[in-house]
Amino acid sequence: MTIFIIQVLNSLFYAASLFLIAAGLSLIYGVMRIVNLAHGTFYALGAYVSAWAVGTAFGHAGGGGWHLMGQLLLLPIGAIAIAAVGAVIEPTLLRPLYRRPEEYLLLITFGLLMVLEDSMKLIFGGTPLSAGTIMDAMGSIPIGRLLYPTYNLVVMAVGLGAAIGLWWFIYRTRFGVILRATSQDRRMAAALGLNVSRVYIQAFAIGCFMAGLGGAVVVPAQAAVLGMGVDALILAFVVVVVGGLGSLEGAFIGALIVSFVRTAGIQFFPEIELAVLYLIAAAVLLVRPTGLFGRA
Amino acid sequence: MDRRTFLNNIGLTVGGAAAATTMPVIGPSVAQAAVAPKGNIPSTPLKMGHMTFLTGPAAVLGEPSLKGHLLAAEEINAAGGILGKRKIETISADEQAGTDANVKELRRMKLSEKIDLFTGVISSGNTPALGPVAEELSLLTIFVDGCTDFLWDKAVPNPKYTFRITNIQSADGVTCALAAAQTWPKAKKIAHIHPDYSYGRNAFDHFMIAYSKLVPGAQVVSEGWPKLGTTDFTAHITKTISSQPDLIVSSVWGGDYVALYKQALRYGMFKDAKFASTIAFGVAPHAIGKDHPEGAIAGVHSNYYFTFPPGNRWPANKTFVEKYFKRWNEYPNFQSDGAYHTLYMYKTAIEKANRLVGGWPDEEAIISQLEGMYYETAAGYLYIRPDNHQGYKDAVTGFSKNVAEYPFQILDPATMITIPIRNITAPPNWPKPGQGHNDPTATYNWIKETWPQVT
Repeated sequence: MTIFIIQVLNSLFYAASLFLIAAGLSLIYGVMRIVNLAHGTFYALGAYVSAWAVGTAFGHAGGGGWHLMGQLLLLPIGAIAIAAVGAVIEPTLLRPLYRRPEEYLLLITFGLLMVLEDSMKLIFGGTPLSAGTIMDAMGSIPIGRLLYPTYNLVVMAVGLGAAIGLWWFIYRTRFGVILRATSQDRRMAAALGLNVSRVYIQAFAIGCFMAGLGGAVVVPAQAAVLGMGVDALILAFVVVVVGGLGSLEGAFIGALIVSFVRTAGIQFFPEIELAVLYLIAAAVLLVRPTGLFGRA
Repeated sequence: MDRRTFLNNIGLTVGGAAAATTMPVIGPSVAQAAVAPKGNIPSTPLKMGHMTFLTGPAAVLGEPSLKGHLLAAEEINAAGGILGKRKIETISADEQAGTDANVKELRRMKLSEKIDLFTGVISSGNTPALGPVAEELSLLTIFVDGCTDFLWDKAVPNPKYTFRITNIQSADGVTCALAAAQTWPKAKKIAHIHPDYSYGRNAFDHFMIAYSKLVPGAQVVSEGWPKLGTTDFTAHITKTISSQPDLIVSSVWGGDYVALYKQALRYGMFKDAKFASTIAFGVAPHAIGKDHPEGAIAGVHSNYYFTFPPGNRWPANKTFVEKYFKRWNEYPNFQSDGAYHTLYMYKTAIEKANRLVGGWPDEEAIISQLEGMYYETAAGYLYIRPDNHQGYKDAVTGFSKNVAEYPFQILDPATMITIPIRNITAPPNWPKPGQGHNDPTATYNWIKETWPQVT
């Protein structure tokens, strides 16, 4: 039973980080029809920036409550930084290519992935960066005879909070209406006097913010390592394939499905852990080619 | 046969360093007096291709390889080059590009860059693809790692141009098993976490075949096979703990391992079970924090850790570590040692061949000198077996410990475990897989058939 509870918590933790990555990917695609191959790398960059900020400001020693609060408050720096990066990249790198076939956008975001991966190594070095002091300061909760890291609950809360916030933002605010209108028909939105360029920058920056936030909240638990973005990108694609590209609900449900199936695979069928995620994606594609919540 | 006799027969020794503390300090070995080269030596530079992981989670293992290579090249160039004339120019390539791209890069290096030597390579997924191509191109190749048994068992069964420096992979699982059986002989319930590709599979197989010879009744209670490059290990950790193992064995490496141990700490995975890894401390030493559990068997791919052999007993190590630290401001790992001495062995082979034939020796002459070479490396003597071109040196592993001198956790030189390599690897001409048996490797079959069972 204890194991069951912890594995459920593990799955929710994993789902939270998957959702943060996949939601941004999905949002950007939904509004702008860009498959952003550099999205996983934004996630990694968020992790590096936050780990660097926490490490620089607080060193690697532990500390008291204020110390911990300060570190937690510093974490979102990664997300903000990546949103800023996104706001610069969209008008300079992507916008000139909107009139070209979409292969150009695939190529340029892939190129961006390569450049950013190398830049991270250049700036932060090859050694993994950790913000583990936060994990250590928050300790663990005993569950039965086992331990569960308290911080992981924070990650789940952030994941859930981000999902609710994003939903409210898209479906309950004026900006959300503009966003959805632009996503449905860009030309019509422009004809009605909306500033589509500005909506694009904002949408791209929000998508990047989500990726950066994913990296920022995960880094105390896992450490920032080179290459983590590429792995994250692949997983995010599995999530959006299952949930449906461009759908917020899809990203949410997709992240939960992928995460729980992966955990079940690890627990019961360790030999096929690698295959199990792709099996789900393949099964969904066969039954519903647009994903569970996807639009045709 | 009992376990103690068995381990004595194998020749496993613990903490050779303790006795050495009273020995006089010996100065670094004096370099051999340079002999003037025979014949005409061209002054064109020697081109070398060095491929290793420069990006991705494996970079923390791979960058030190390039650093070791460059250090040796700079030293050789500063002394005038090989045979006093030919300086080394290095082209590096990122192994992270993937196996197919790596094979293309190897061809490009040979055909358009005209390299004289290809070296480096870490992944066991890559050497079996690169080896046959190097043979086809007649390109002298000394792999630093990528140490799968499969390379010589199947992919390149009769190597001519390809060599490899670091210990063969089967030795890694076996070394870990012997160290664990020596240290915790009562551990019967074993949980495994290995990366799901050839290295992890190999470590699992060889650990279990050797361990079950030594510890009757040993059984696998849990298996985890995370993908290479995984950063979330929480589900694997919970599963491992849930099986209530006596001993957890892992071959997760590089940045993946740093993520694994940090998560495992918070779940209390190291509290109730012992931990043995084949390669935990294979990364650049400073990547392991002081929060890593002490007293774990933290392997170094059974090759080399910079604190051992201690400098007073083996000056070659002291000299190497000092030079490396001076150049890079960090400590070397086993890849640094492998890459550095690869170049020096190549240089030595050329000098010997020059003395025999004069002028710049051709590939055949260099190969003949590399085959059977004995060389004093930082890790100890390294022997290149002529039949399979594989480097053999005594296998080592050790226990993690925090000491004041280093800002990271180290392997304690006083308790390092050393095992003569001939006692844990199949001898020359032992049947390879497919020749009368279908076991994973020749060594696996050799252990299964010839090792006594401890009762």
